[in-house]
Amino acid sequence: MKVKNITRAAIIAAIYALGTYFLGSFGTNIIQVRITEVLTVLPYFDPTAILGVTLGCFLANILGGLGPWDVFGGTLITLIAAILTSKTKNKLLALSWPILLNAFGVSAYLSVIFGQPYWFTVFSIFAGEFISIGVLGFPVMLYLEKNASNIGLDNQWVKGVRYKSADEKNKKEKNL
Amino acid sequence: MAFDVTLGQYMPGDSFLHRLDPRTKLVMALTLIVVLFLVDSFIGYLWIAGFIFLAIINGDIPLKSITRGLKPLTVIILLTVILNIFFTEGTILWQWGFIRITNEGIIKGILLGIRLILLILSTTVMTLTTSPLAITDGLEYLLSPLKKVKFPVHELSMMLTIALRFIPTLLEETEKIMKAQMARGADFESGNLLKRAQNMVPLLVPLFVSAFRRADDLATAMESRCYKGGEGRTRLNELAMQSADYLVLGVTLPVLVLVVFIF
Repeated sequence: MKVKNITRAAIIAAIYALGTYFLGSFGTNIIQVRITEVLTVLPYFDPTAILGVTLGCFLANILGGLGPWDVFGGTLITLIAAILTSKTKNKLLALSWPILLNAFGVSAYLSVIFGQPYWFTVFSIFAGEFISIGVLGFPVMLYLEKNASNIGLDNQWVKGVRYKSADEKNKKEKNL
Repeated sequence: MAFDVTLGQYMPGDSFLHRLDPRTKLVMALTLIVVLFLVDSFIGYLWIAGFIFLAIINGDIPLKSITRGLKPLTVIILLTVILNIFFTEGTILWQWGFIRITNEGIIKGILLGIRLILLILSTTVMTLTTSPLAITDGLEYLLSPLKKVKFPVHELSMMLTIALRFIPTLLEETEKIMKAQMARGADFESGNLLKRAQNMVPLLVPLFVSAFRRADDLATAMESRCYKGGEGRTRLNELAMQSADYLVLGVTLPVLVLVVFIF
């Protein structure tokens, strides 16, 4: 792992944790909207953000989490969703990974721990994630599509083509 | 840094619990969580509650900070208890339409409620007495066997450490940018949800730009000081288990295992 990737992922994690800690989540008790979940769109552009949002989620759940289950389960699901998001080409599909995985995955352990009906938790998490990732995240994604490299993200997309490494991308960009 | 102290739940102190090795506390908290899922009887929970109570007394933890940890979950816990009381099959004590209260439901609901509270307490006690940095350190030590299967333990804990270090800095930066943009007429407070989200753009864009610049500067600084990953790296403060740690682990772990088997 490059040192640059370590520090960048760390900074993304810090932004996620900071945002979650201070903005918190709002909404009623049934539907929780965690605004920083918007950041789960970042892995689509920059794979470094995979570890960034995962560790950010871990930190946020340790610093002000709702319970120990989220520290393990939530982090693991965020990681899987982030990897899938970074590998998916279609923007809407990429967005739907964190929404779906959180709704169905988190519910799986929450309904066991809380003894609540599974579909009830699926609905409540889906609604919350849909608002933060779907409604707020999609405009962010469209914005980043044009401006990702301007704000300093290492955009893996160049003219609709995804590059696996920065070296490969630099080579292609030079040839253009 | 002023923000450092208020971040997270950690309360600095010098109690027995504060001085324990973070690894000991991590192992204890994890064991308590596992045990809580294996036990489902009142007597078993009483034992665990006793443990947590001892830890709370040992760590000089004020009651206020404990209730603060439980507060955000009160409604969910109550809902859980009520749902379980009303919708569990069994001997019916009272019935009105499809809603009924059963003997089993009351027991299950109360047990679940107690379990949830104890689960939260067991980790709250740890995070109250261990700084986030110490938790990260402890995790790196505990996970270090995974290095053999190429799991990037050192890198991950380095990221966590950097992230923790940068949270106060970023907070300061955010405030600075907010003030700068408000001076230019930005409005962060009014409007509906969508409008507000839109208004965040002039805050988030500069924040990301400056954050990534910081990250790259830090990477350069680290590389010029010959940072090359975890291999051969030494630490300023090595974690060392004291006899108190062995004593705590040696006494509590067997007792907890017994609790699982007996209750």
